[in-house]
Amino acid sequence: MGFGLQFVIDVLSLGGAYALMALGLVIVYGILKLVNFAYGELIMVAGYTMFLLGGSALPWLVMAAVAVAMSMLAGVLTDYVAFRPVRAKSVTAVLITSFAFSTLLQNLALLFISPRPRPVALPEIFSETVTIAGVVTPVRNLITLAASVLLLGLFALLMRKTVLGIAMRAAATHFIMARMLGVPANLIITSAFAISGFLAGVVGLLWIGRIGTVTPGIGLEPLLIAFIATVIGGMRSMSGAVLGGFLFALIDTTLNYTLSQDLLKFRDAFTFTLVILILLWRPEGLIKGPATGQRT
Amino acid sequence: MRNTRKMLLGGVATLVLAAGPAAAQDKEPIIIGGAMSLTGVQAPLDTPALRGAEVAVKYLNDNGGVLGRQVELRNIDGKSDPVTVGNAAVELIDGGADIIMAPCDFDFGGPASREAQSAGLVGISTCASDPLYSSWSLGDKQFTLSMWNTTMGATAAEFALKENDWKTAYVVTDQFIAYTKSLSKYFNEAFTAGGGEILLEDTYTNGDNNFTAQLARLQALGTKPDVIFLSSYGQDIGSIIRALREVGYDAPVLGGDAYDDPAMHEALGERFGNDIYFVTHTWMGPEAHPKMPEFIDLYTQMHGAPPDTSFVSTGWDTVMMMAQAIEAAGSTDGAAVATALEEGEFDLLTGKLDYADAAGGHMPMKAAALIKLEGGQPSFVGWRTPENVPAP
Repeated sequence: MGFGLQFVIDVLSLGGAYALMALGLVIVYGILKLVNFAYGELIMVAGYTMFLLGGSALPWLVMAAVAVAMSMLAGVLTDYVAFRPVRAKSVTAVLITSFAFSTLLQNLALLFISPRPRPVALPEIFSETVTIAGVVTPVRNLITLAASVLLLGLFALLMRKTVLGIAMRAAATHFIMARMLGVPANLIITSAFAISGFLAGVVGLLWIGRIGTVTPGIGLEPLLIAFIATVIGGMRSMSGAVLGGFLFALIDTTLNYTLSQDLLKFRDAFTFTLVILILLWRPEGLIKGPATGQRT
Repeated sequence: MRNTRKMLLGGVATLVLAAGPAAAQDKEPIIIGGAMSLTGVQAPLDTPALRGAEVAVKYLNDNGGVLGRQVELRNIDGKSDPVTVGNAAVELIDGGADIIMAPCDFDFGGPASREAQSAGLVGISTCASDPLYSSWSLGDKQFTLSMWNTTMGATAAEFALKENDWKTAYVVTDQFIAYTKSLSKYFNEAFTAGGGEILLEDTYTNGDNNFTAQLARLQALGTKPDVIFLSSYGQDIGSIIRALREVGYDAPVLGGDAYDDPAMHEALGERFGNDIYFVTHTWMGPEAHPKMPEFIDLYTQMHGAPPDTSFVSTGWDTVMMMAQAIEAAGSTDGAAVATALEEGEFDLLTGKLDYADAAGGHMPMKAAALIKLEGGQPSFVGWRTPENVPAP
């Protein structure tokens, strides 16, 4: 019983974080049909903001808010620096500019701060534990779960009920048509980057909350997770990204719990074999999303 | 680009310096070629070492150079990529390097040492501790400044068994690189040979930041271990210790030099940073070596801030040991310097060092520094030399 409950909490809290990461990546992809490879660095920006504010007397929540704001700003900056100038030209160009921007941000941190890890302030509650039906669980995991449920809910509401959300969905479905109907393209794209930055910022706080330190390369793992989750779930579907995130967490956690020690060394091989099998079965991902995939 | 500029600056600095002492002026400088990684996953270990090496080069030049010649340090960023490291070494050797400083860790430093070996030069890694870094696998002119993991693992095991009577252990091995895997292996060998019992061994994947499955297995065991040996790398060490402590595993934690990271100590803090012991290269205080304060002063003067990790000492030591060996050999000839390294004994900031001959793998016989973490604050326990070191 305890074992089962532990497993469920693990999958849900990890899945929540993965789903948020994936959603932040897919919201830009949905509209531009381009992967933002500088996405991981948005998480890094949130982390370093927390480190730089660490010496100040600000309450943690204020620091966290500033960190998320900085990450949104970095998201918008990604659009202006890496995407907008070359967006209309070629996919290859944007691919390279987004990689370049990612490398640039990482190396700025490396040069001006340090290649070595830096500590990040965490609130007390991130280190507390609670006992649920005999299972000791860090409160942090429950916060991650709650934050992801809340944000996924808010996000769904935004996309369905607000003008901005509807315009974004329209742009994701058929960008040229949406523009012809008067949807301002640049505003929509910039908003998508800002939301992506917001999600990255929140995920960054939760992710770094597990670790306690930040390094220039901290964004690599979340980017990889987000990328795999969106590929499984369906690159063009936002609910697919969320499903992909939870499924990826389920696969990882199940393998962690069930593989024997000799096989556990090769866990990633098993994970990716399963990902390949899913893609062979559903090449478009689990949820297909809008039919058109034309790039702007 | 950044490196080109750095090299140009280095070149200018050398010219300016060379204009000073008349004796060193007419002779060609001795060139130390570094393939240290300034970017990528290896940068946290290589950058401090390079900075320490820069201090040593300046110190040597201010004190008359080596063999009456100035010393010049050229580094090409190895970018934490084995192929790039190898190419950097080739470029340095083509540019006239007399001796090669190789990156930390076998996986990244090996390629530089292989190139040095095929050019007949001595190569020394600043902190590779896997026994693969030996003359057996890399050639008769290759060395590592670090103790091997055999010593590191055995020191931890003997500390647990002989000094503390911790008889049962829980061992976690990160599958990241040769270092993390072999460290656990040698701890296990030394611990069981000394009469200890391994209750449970588990595997971890670097970057997961999720230790829940392992915790569930540990909890299912029913008994608590006397000691936890955790061989991991980078930020994961902190997150695993945190995960263990949160759910009530407060047994002492033991580990290797990857724990030597002030940011992790601070992140664990007063609450989780207790009862942690690790075996590493040195301690940044006079307790470890009488010359340590002088080095810290020189470092602070040159770089404008005190060192933020003890890994800076490995760079200083590598250069100073190179200088001592070249002086003893009377030339920069690879074979002569290698012999001088085999025959010499070195009193370094990172402990006394004596190499075995090439047939003995250039095994470094070296003392290990034991550090304790209490309330998030590290303190020096002392130098340790294990009695029974497992065979590599």
